[in-house]
Amino acid sequence: MALFQRIAASLLAILAMLYSPGAVADTSAVPTEKTTIEIWWHEYGPFTAYVKELIPAYEKLHPNVTINPTILSSADINQKISVALATGTGPDIMDNDASFYLLYYTKGVLEPLNLDVFGAKSYSDIIAKYTTGGLAAATFAGKVYALPYQGNSMSLFINNKEFAAAGLDPKKDAPKTWNDVIALGPKLKIVQGTRTVQKAFDFPYHSQRWEVQDFQPLTEQFGGKLLSDDGKTAYLNSPEAVKALTLWREVTKAGGDPRTTMNTPSNPNQDFVDGRVAMWITGPWATPQVQQSPVGNDFTVVSLPQVDPAKPHTLVYGWMWGVNNAKPAAEKAAAWDFVRFMLAKPDVWLGKVGFVQPVVGVDQSDVAKKFPYFDVHMKDVATGSWYLSSEFTNEITQALGRAIERVVYDGADPKASLDQAQAEAEKVLKK
Amino acid sequence: MGKVTPAPAMGPTYTTKPMVSFLRWAARQRGNVLAYALVAVAVAIALVPYFWMVSSSLKTMTNMFRVPVQWIPDPVNWRSYVIAWHAQDFPRYFLNSGFVAAAITLGNLVLASLAGYSLAKFRYFGRGLLFLLILSTMMLPLEVTMVPLFLIIKRLDWVNSYQGLIVPFLIDGFGVFLMRQYMLGIPKDLIDSARIDGASELRIFWQIVLPLCKPALVALGVFTFREAWDMYIWPLIIVSKDSLRTLPLAISLFMSSYGTAWDQLMPIAVLGTLPMIILFFFLQRAFIQGIAITGLKE
Amino acid sequence: MSSAVHAESHTVRRRLRVGLAAKQAMFGYAILFPTIAILCIFRFVPMIQAFIISFSKYDLIHPPQFVGLANFVDLVQDPLFLNSFWVSLIYVVFSVLPVWPLSLALAILFNRRLVFKNVLRSAVFMPVVMPAVVMAVVWTFIYQQDGALNTILGWVGIDPIPWLRSSAFALPAVILIGIWRATPYYMVIFLAGLQAIPAEYYEAAEIDGAGHWSSFWNITLPLLRPTTLLVMVMTVIVAMKVFAVPMIMTGGGPADSTRVLPLFIYQTAFEFFDMGRASAMSVFLFVAVMLFSVAQIRIFTRGEE
Repeated sequence: MALFQRIAASLLAILAMLYSPGAVADTSAVPTEKTTIEIWWHEYGPFTAYVKELIPAYEKLHPNVTINPTILSSADINQKISVALATGTGPDIMDNDASFYLLYYTKGVLEPLNLDVFGAKSYSDIIAKYTTGGLAAATFAGKVYALPYQGNSMSLFINNKEFAAAGLDPKKDAPKTWNDVIALGPKLKIVQGTRTVQKAFDFPYHSQRWEVQDFQPLTEQFGGKLLSDDGKTAYLNSPEAVKALTLWREVTKAGGDPRTTMNTPSNPNQDFVDGRVAMWITGPWATPQVQQSPVGNDFTVVSLPQVDPAKPHTLVYGWMWGVNNAKPAAEKAAAWDFVRFMLAKPDVWLGKVGFVQPVVGVDQSDVAKKFPYFDVHMKDVATGSWYLSSEFTNEITQALGRAIERVVYDGADPKASLDQAQAEAEKVLKK
Repeated sequence: MGKVTPAPAMGPTYTTKPMVSFLRWAARQRGNVLAYALVAVAVAIALVPYFWMVSSSLKTMTNMFRVPVQWIPDPVNWRSYVIAWHAQDFPRYFLNSGFVAAAITLGNLVLASLAGYSLAKFRYFGRGLLFLLILSTMMLPLEVTMVPLFLIIKRLDWVNSYQGLIVPFLIDGFGVFLMRQYMLGIPKDLIDSARIDGASELRIFWQIVLPLCKPALVALGVFTFREAWDMYIWPLIIVSKDSLRTLPLAISLFMSSYGTAWDQLMPIAVLGTLPMIILFFFLQRAFIQGIAITGLKE
Repeated sequence: MSSAVHAESHTVRRRLRVGLAAKQAMFGYAILFPTIAILCIFRFVPMIQAFIISFSKYDLIHPPQFVGLANFVDLVQDPLFLNSFWVSLIYVVFSVLPVWPLSLALAILFNRRLVFKNVLRSAVFMPVVMPAVVMAVVWTFIYQQDGALNTILGWVGIDPIPWLRSSAFALPAVILIGIWRATPYYMVIFLAGLQAIPAEYYEAAEIDGAGHWSSFWNITLPLLRPTTLLVMVMTVIVAMKVFAVPMIMTGGGPADSTRVLPLFIYQTAFEFFDMGRASAMSVFLFVAVMLFSVAQIRIFTRGEE
């Protein structure tokens, strides 16, 4: 009997090893009674289209499960989910920016990943399937609480035509350091009278979130850090951060007037696709949009510029699926099973949506091999740390964004401006 | 208005010399030219954004951001209307907005006329105080009470529901005030004689009082509908379900989510204004009166 | 005896009348009741609750904790809150002051004889018809660096202004469209006020040889006093509430230059989930609205009694 059990256990272990998220579900952990699960996600055309394909496919496999989708805007999905969780009207499956999961974990509203559903023995099995640090933003006290469907790098997109027009070769002359970016400024910038027609480079000023997405790696390249790992201490005015903001100001000065822009939170890449900026930092998901624009395939992607290319630091940010722990056990199991089902084909995610799942081997698929500059994106993911995460991500992002805007728009001193941001952050973190 | 009726021909003014009257005429013309010039400027300022909205809504994406700007769309791109209309469930958002605004308007018409009638034509203990209380809500913006109001709606389990969007706004102090002021002018004899004839109170209200209040009701209705159609912060707080989104909410979310485009946003902006424009053209006088009567306050 | 009968019938009639009066009073209460009930539940109770919550720490998930005056003490020392309060104040002053003379001037203009008066008046009125959210979207587009407004300004030789991209211009940009939308609205109210002034006053003044200015100062303004007071109070309350336009156009930026108080209250409550602090801010907003209104009414009614 004991022997039989041991054999069974090792068989299970082998099964678990063979098992990949793509394998057909081991349905034993999934309820067979009638279940309805609610799923909320943020609006993005190709993404919505794909998830809407996945729902009927899953319902066909599991006729007892009904899935009700609700689509929200990326701008306020966090707010809506937080309110809904607090009022007991939350969904079973939530979609949120990775940086908010620490807050949700602290509030105690997350259901840890269901190992049975995934046929895994331990959380480290799950973590091993992802690239290094791929689950860092959702692993708390050794348990995984959410799974990413996109983990984006931020890399430098270059407009080939504008490089060529300035007598530059995008392959050879692509900047490796921030000083290279500054040096390229005068060559690529076109000003007619008082009007900036073409900027060489621009930081993203359309949203504070985006500002911090660029500012965080810059600080880290100087060897600094914005937040402690537990998200409880802020170092916004560290000497490294001050150096970063000072360099930021230099880069902006060289790149062109940041006020000449058509970018908005809804169209962050507008300037780049219009040819108004020659170099622009954005994620791989922008690729289809660029290809369909007048820029077409005439673009190059290189790694995020560095302070010291020998010690690269980049940024990863992404969105994850999590499960609401206030729901009945059967619903939670079904919810995790649907998450497993949705994430099963990373290559389809890349091909259809342009989202990169940070799983091991994602770069080996045919889709990845055809995806322009996929290797660059993956390289930047490998050296990246996740977007800062704290119980107060929103407040800290705003404090930093304001500090940057004060320096760029109002000519404030970087040190003084960051001191103010630090004071604001400390006050919030004390709560 | 009749302010410009000529003064009766009498008194010494009648004998003014022709030269003086010519100068007066010239002066008046100069005043007229100035007046028309000012009106033209005002009209331009009021309408250029409209023109820009409509013209942009008919442009292709590339022409929208062209430098220098293109004033007249070329080519005229009607397709963006179709694309925008289908980009999200806009018919649904229109219906939601229409339903919510209609329900709020109806509620205000019924409740305000009832309350106004009560305050204008009945005597009872505490009437003055109650009227004052109702009036005081006009000084209490939603922005002050939105947090606790949200908590109340949450306790009622009305988050994400039509009730939550409608019920808190079924009555507003302004409507009560307006109807009371209007009904004060209804002769009491009319009501008393109906009572002597044995009509029930509700019947008197319905058949005698209400028909007399038609102008005030139309004005209040249009005024309330406009405010309700405009409502933004409250739906933003309590609605997360797609199926409950009102139009302003849908437009603002359309703008802030990162897959969207200006060439779709502008047609939606035009379509979102259209119901108001239609309402305005058909009920122009009531529309303007609805606002003019806000000035009735003592 | 006859007097006794008379007295009896009198009391019967009186009782009858009292009974009738009571019945009518009951009816009066009954038809007022729904209004009072709704206002109590959705206006007065929240108002009282706002005060109560402002003394607590509450994140919607964990039960509220009483913290005394901490939220208030904290707010008056918080530069972010003071900044928001200041932005709101600037917004109120500069979006309201121009509206008074502008809307009155427009009303006077439209009170004269004009060809196509109704059409022209409707045209001027159009900004009121545009929903606030649509207005924010359309003006965001107009304010673009290479957009319509800068193009028009370029015709008169003004360099492009980074309307929504600089902390110096973002607030004026928001204020400008506040004025754009409010002016025709109050024009209509002034117009109604003007039309209520009997024409004889002007005729008499004309006979006395008074000029336009003199009639304006001596007849129009004094007789418009109630309307003017109303417009003043209304514009201020409306300006204090501004939310949709800064929320959509700038999100409060750049560098917080357009984060008006209602926007900060909204963010504190529904983005940072600090209900206590948000309620304390609401109390400040409430006090500000009250002070403004009362002060205006005071100033305006002084010397009338």
